Amino acid sequence: MKEWHLAAAILVAALIPCGWVCLRRSFAEGVVAVQLAGTVAALALLVLAEAEQREPFGDLAVVLAPLSFAGTLVFLRFLERMR
Amino acid sequence: MSVRDAIAYALLGLGVTCELIAVLGLVAMRDVYDRLHYVGPATLGALLVAAAIWVYQGPSQIALKGTLVAAFVLVASPALAHGTARAARISERGDWRPGREEGIEVEEP
Repeated sequence: MKEWHLAAAILVAALIPCGWVCLRRSFAEGVVAVQLAGTVAALALLVLAEAEQREPFGDLAVVLAPLSFAGTLVFLRFLERMR
Repeated sequence: MSVRDAIAYALLGLGVTCELIAVLGLVAMRDVYDRLHYVGPATLGALLVAAAIWVYQGPSQIALKGTLVAAFVLVASPALAHGTARAARISERGDWRPGREEGIEVEEP
């Protein structure tokens, strides 16, 4: 199981640069970072479920993917109105 | 380690590498449009990770969930990238269509 844990740790660590872009760059660039972070987080949850051999935990990834999509759409609406 | 495990780990490694390339591109690029190009490798990464789970576990609940996540990302990611570029342009210029000062010839309908 070591390889799956390592992959999950790398994916979780990959969220840090996304957070940095959200904090330090413009709103539009932050939205792109949120979009990417949603995908990375869903994959991290999926790989973690596999690493821990707990299949029901995979539901978290299945729920996060569409919620992240909907959340980004809301931010896009705000971005359109920002001038 | 069996051949099947080795293939699964190779796919997993490739998938994680794709995600890392996407994140590095996001950090390294200059503006929002350049950064948007790096959402693509993340989609490929999702497909590779789902394939790794399929190879490692065979047909199972977690493999099905992996496929669902990858399929959703595959469909949603290009739509979101398009929406983000459109929203960023509207935010910058007030309209997504090219203006006359940009020097882009557009045929009027």
